[in-house]
Formats: sequence, structure tokens, C-alpha cells
Amino acid sequence: MMKKPEKLIVDGKRLDGREPDELRPLKIEAGVLKRADGSAYVEMGKNKVLAAVYGPRELHPRHLQQPDTAILRCRYNMAPFSVDDRKRPGPDRRSVEISKVIREAFEPVVFTKLYPRSGIDVFIEILQADAGTRTAGINAAAVALADAGVPMRDLVSSVAVGKVDDTIVLDLTKDEDNYGTTDMPIAMLPRKKVITLLQMDGHLTPEEFERAIEMAMKGCEQIYEAQKQALKTKYATKPEEG
Amino acid sequence: MYELVSTVKRDYIVDLARQDKRADARALDQYREVSVETGLIENAQGSALVKMGNTQVLAGVKIQRGEPFPDTPNSGVLMVNAELRPIASPTFELGPPDENSIELARVVDRGIRESETIDLNKLGITPGEEVWMVYIDLHALDYDGNLIDAASLAAVAALWNVKKPHVEGWTLDEFPVAKKPVAVTVAKIDGKLMVDPSLDEQNVMDARLTITTIEDDSICAMQKGGIGYLTVEEIKTVYELARIKAAELRKHLG
Amino acid sequence: MLYAQNREIVIPGQLIAEGSHSIYGGAFKEGNRVYSSVIGIVNVRGQDIGVIPLGGRYMPRRGDAVIGIAMDSHRSGWILDLNSPYVGNLFVSDLEGRKVDLDKEDISQFLRMGDVVVAEIRDVDERMRVLLDACGPGMGKVRGGKMVEISSAKVPRVIGKKGSMTTVLQSTSGCKIKVGQNGRIMVWGDDQRMVNAVVEALLMIEREAHTSGLTERVKQFVEKMKSEGK
Repeated sequence: MMKKPEKLIVDGKRLDGREPDELRPLKIEAGVLKRADGSAYVEMGKNKVLAAVYGPRELHPRHLQQPDTAILRCRYNMAPFSVDDRKRPGPDRRSVEISKVIREAFEPVVFTKLYPRSGIDVFIEILQADAGTRTAGINAAAVALADAGVPMRDLVSSVAVGKVDDTIVLDLTKDEDNYGTTDMPIAMLPRKKVITLLQMDGHLTPEEFERAIEMAMKGCEQIYEAQKQALKTKYATKPEEG
Repeated sequence: MYELVSTVKRDYIVDLARQDKRADARALDQYREVSVETGLIENAQGSALVKMGNTQVLAGVKIQRGEPFPDTPNSGVLMVNAELRPIASPTFELGPPDENSIELARVVDRGIRESETIDLNKLGITPGEEVWMVYIDLHALDYDGNLIDAASLAAVAALWNVKKPHVEGWTLDEFPVAKKPVAVTVAKIDGKLMVDPSLDEQNVMDARLTITTIEDDSICAMQKGGIGYLTVEEIKTVYELARIKAAELRKHLG
Repeated sequence: MLYAQNREIVIPGQLIAEGSHSIYGGAFKEGNRVYSSVIGIVNVRGQDIGVIPLGGRYMPRRGDAVIGIAMDSHRSGWILDLNSPYVGNLFVSDLEGRKVDLDKEDISQFLRMGDVVVAEIRDVDERMRVLLDACGPGMGKVRGGKMVEISSAKVPRVIGKKGSMTTVLQSTSGCKIKVGQNGRIMVWGDDQRMVNAVVEALLMIEREAHTSGLTERVKQFVEKMKSEGK
């Protein structure tokens, strides 16, 4: 891990050369797995994330079934080799919390009432981590849910904002997250522009918060375009063959 | 990990087997399309993604400091772990490793350890106190049969992908990897032997035998699986198949 | 007011139209705005607007022909897997077409685990409990043949307008085909090559379902396979 640099913003540019409101390079691909009902692969900067959706499907054990709705379940998991210091396999407290807030980011959009007594399972695997894994996971999960044909009111787009050297910045890298003072991931429904995930640790004045949330929502809009593109690319009408 | 197979599918596969044919039109001694991609996980010291047909396994090698085993105070430690998570198949459940993921990890481990692929003696730091730990983590991404061969290939490819690790305190010139063990799994269906079983074939087979060989055709690991049995003749046939196919698969390791 | 074109591919949350339209399929309304809930194709029929989903799991409907696999049994019948979030219930009297004396007859003689059954959905209640009927003509336990599973969303294309696609497949290949609305299709034929050709054709239809000229391409493909075999 690098030693704390003197400055994280030099001449208005961040350590990796980005502007404060610039996203890391983004890549999204839909339908990458065979077994899952829907899937997506996302790269946000150095993050490499795979999401898969199974469902709606029969829910076991039966006592979990709800008579009039599907149960949405989400599991976020980091592969042992995804981080600098190998992570021991298995759920830890951080993964459990992240799984919950990600599920709650999707609860408002999925038409669960259409599928009584069933379950919709979302699995997010972090293959390589560089801060913002939960946001990358949400972006992948949204595409995977659409790919699976799960009816939704909207996609969900997500990005984190933070503060380094007193500057609000978009889509933090690991170093910025470690050496900055604030990390605030958000998830947004692109159509209504409402927030379905919001977490924050650090320090922000009310004015800084306003700027941060505005920057985050603009970032989400860009991510939404990439998600749309990934889905349309996969399902684009093929040209007629001779 | 029970999977429901319809009698129609079962009969179809067995019928084809009797004619030396397979459902996906492969020959009995033919692997599905195999691809190996290395170096995709920067946070790992070595990594490899293997695709065998629709089966996909990602292996990551992490090298860290740790404590040696008491009886080998100056040798590095190899640990292989496998994660069969529900992302890869509706038949994988959450929870601690089940017998399938444990068997998978141990068979892959055996192939690497018994062939002395890694010279663990070169991985000591302070005798009795600190040595280099080599963790190989196998992550199944998509399951369509034959995880053993795919995971073994990924593990060895990931080991060979380790150049001089950028970990603090590393003093050797390079990572001491020497051999290329390759696992070949053969399934028996109605008396016929076929390599690289697909998921459908695995669900219908009587038994399977995995044989891991190294470059000089010697055997370093074997594992029989499934509820059926194998004759000695069949085992010898499997060795011949394994020897030849291992040489083919080894080409993917560069 | 239309914001999307007829036959355009739309994604969840995409605005399609505004105004007093009645909607169907993968479309929903908020106020008087119509949105898509799935990845699908916009279908405008006069004042009706719908989205035809390009994927999604099978939802049992009364009257549908389905192909199920026996996965569990109880005293008077079986539970069939329907490749759906919901299983089907089949009572022995609805398979054999007669009253069965459960004290005298062992029902496992009629159906075993893993057996494949062609059935019709007699009823679905509000809790999605599905009742099956398997004693009508063309129904019952399946023997032999090859089963193909495709996305249930593509089944209408396999059937075609008034059965046109299935007719073309059967007449060109000489095989017999039974299509389940739940995405399972049985193919029977004496010539293994033709059975394989039909399987390939079905997978082709699944891939290219939303293109035009498909029936003709499928016909040409099967005919080509037939002539290559001679």
C-alpha cells in the first residue's frame, strides 16, 4: 500500500489524472454466464465485478415463502484474491451489511408482487476490488436483473462520492478512500431521480453534501447510459442472413 | 447438490453412448473448447481464467507471510481452497464448503503438491518463524460439468503466471515453479469412457476417474468419484486417455 | 403520444407513451405514462400498447400445454417441475383417466421420478398453485425422443402464426414435435440426423426470434441438412 501522498489533488487533477467529477473507465457486459437466468460483468476502474440473478424461482425453505410476493435476496461476496491482503472465504460483517443495503436499493423497483411465494436471488462476486465495489455490484446487478427478465420500474445506477483535500470527488479509488476524509456511496433510480441507497462515513457540511449528491447523481446518469447500452447491445436485432 | 435429470435426457445420453456418440456431437476422447487467460486479477500475484465449454473457473494466487508447519520449519506452505458459490449454479448453496468443494480443492492440491510443482523449500524466510504462504483460491463462475479439470488447469496456469511477486521482503529472483501437472477426468456411461464430461453427462454417469500426470507421463494424483465402479482394464484405458489429453491441455499453459 | 417506435427494443423503466392507452405484456403505467418493465419489443395495436418480453421465466396459465418432469410424489399423485417458479400438481386420476383405488394400486407403476409428461394446465389459483391434466389426446408420459429447453418467451415464435413454424419444421424434417408453453419441446424421429437438425433449428429460432424472414430461413436450413444427408 502506498504511503500517504502529500497531496491527493495536484493542479486540480487527481492522482490518476482525473477531474474531480470524472468517472473511472467503465465497462459493462450483459449475459456473460450460461447457468444463471441473468448476468452481467462490470469494470469500474480496477474493480472487476460479476453479478448473477436466479429467479423468480421456488423458494426454499418453504417457511420463507410469502403468500402474495416474491422475496428478493442479495449476497455480496469478495473473492479471497480480490484484495491486497487475502480475504478469508466466507461472509464477514461488512459483506452482510453490504448485502442488505444492496437488496434495499432494489426493493423499490422490482415488481415482486407478480410472483407470489417465490424467490429472486441476486449474487454479486467481487473478483478484483479498488473501492466502490458495492456501487459496481449494484450497477452489475441491475443489468443482470434486466437480463433475467425480472420486471422492474427502472434500472438502478450507483456511484460513490467523497472528499479528498477538501475537494468533492466522484468515484473514489482505494487510495482516495483510504486517505480522504469522506466516502458516500449512493444508488439512484435514473427515471425519477430518487435515491434508494445512501451511506456515508466521514465529515460533510450541508453545502458539501449538496454538491456531493448533485455530483453523484450526474455520475449515475452517465452510468445509466452505459447500462442501457450494454443491454441494447446484447439484444440488438441481428441483420437478416441471406 | 442434487439435480433433477429427466428420463428422456438420461435415455438419450445413454443411447448415444452405446453408439460411441455424445449429445454435443463430440468424440469420446474430445474436450470441449478450452481457453486460458492469465493475469487478469492485478491484486493477486498470479491469476488465470479457464473456460472449458461453458464451465468457467477463476484461480487466484496470493503470496503472503505466515507461520510454517512445525515439522517443516523452513518450507513454504501451499493451501488450496475452492469456492462453489450459488452464482455458478442453482445447485450450489451458501454456507461452509460442502464435500464437493472440499474434494475439488484437495484433488487440485494433490496434483500440485505431489508433483512438487512448487519448490516449497525455497520459500522459507526465518526458520521456524516465518515462511511464504502460497494460497490458491479457486472460484467457480459458471458450472457446466468437469470443474476438476478446469480448476486444476486454472490453478497451474495461475502459478505459472506468478512472475517475481511484488510483495515486501521477497528476495528470490523468481517464483520457484517447475512442473505442469494436468488433471484429466473421464466419465463412464453404460460402459463407455468419455473425457471432459459435460454437466448432463456428469448427472447420468456411473463413475468418473481423474488422473493427474506431469510432463514425463508419470502419475501424481488420482481420484475416483461417483456411485458406480471401474474395472482394472477401464482404469488402464483412462490412464492412456489422461496421458494423451494432458499433453494437449498442457499446450494452453504456454 | 408515442415516445418509442413500434418494434423498438426497450429496457426496464423506459418511457414508451403518454395518453389514454390500454396496456399489456411487459408494460406498466404511472399516471397516464406508459413504461416498459422488461427488456422487450414495443407492440402498438391501435390504442393498445404492450411490450413483448425477450426473456423471463414461464408463468403458468390455464389452458397452456406444458411439458413437466416428475420431481416428487405423494400418495395420490406427483409434483412436476415445469421450468417455472411454480410446480404443477398431477393427480393419478388425471393421468390415467380413471379413478384409481389407492389401497390396491401402487401409483409408482404409472410414473417414476424423472419421467417426462405432456400435460395441460387445468387451473391456476391466486396463490399460483397449478393443477394439471394429462389424460387428454396427445398427453401423458413421454417415451423416447429428445427434449430441448428454450426460453419460454420464444415459444410463440416456435409455434408461429396459426402453427406455421411448427408445420414447416415437421413437414420438412419428417419429425414429430410437441411444444410446451413452458419452453420445453419434444422431438421424435426415426432419422437421428433430422432430429438433430430440428434441435438446431429450434435453437436458431430462439436466437433469432425477433427477426423477420425466420420461417423461410428455418425451412432452408432443415432442407439443407436433409439433402446433405443423402
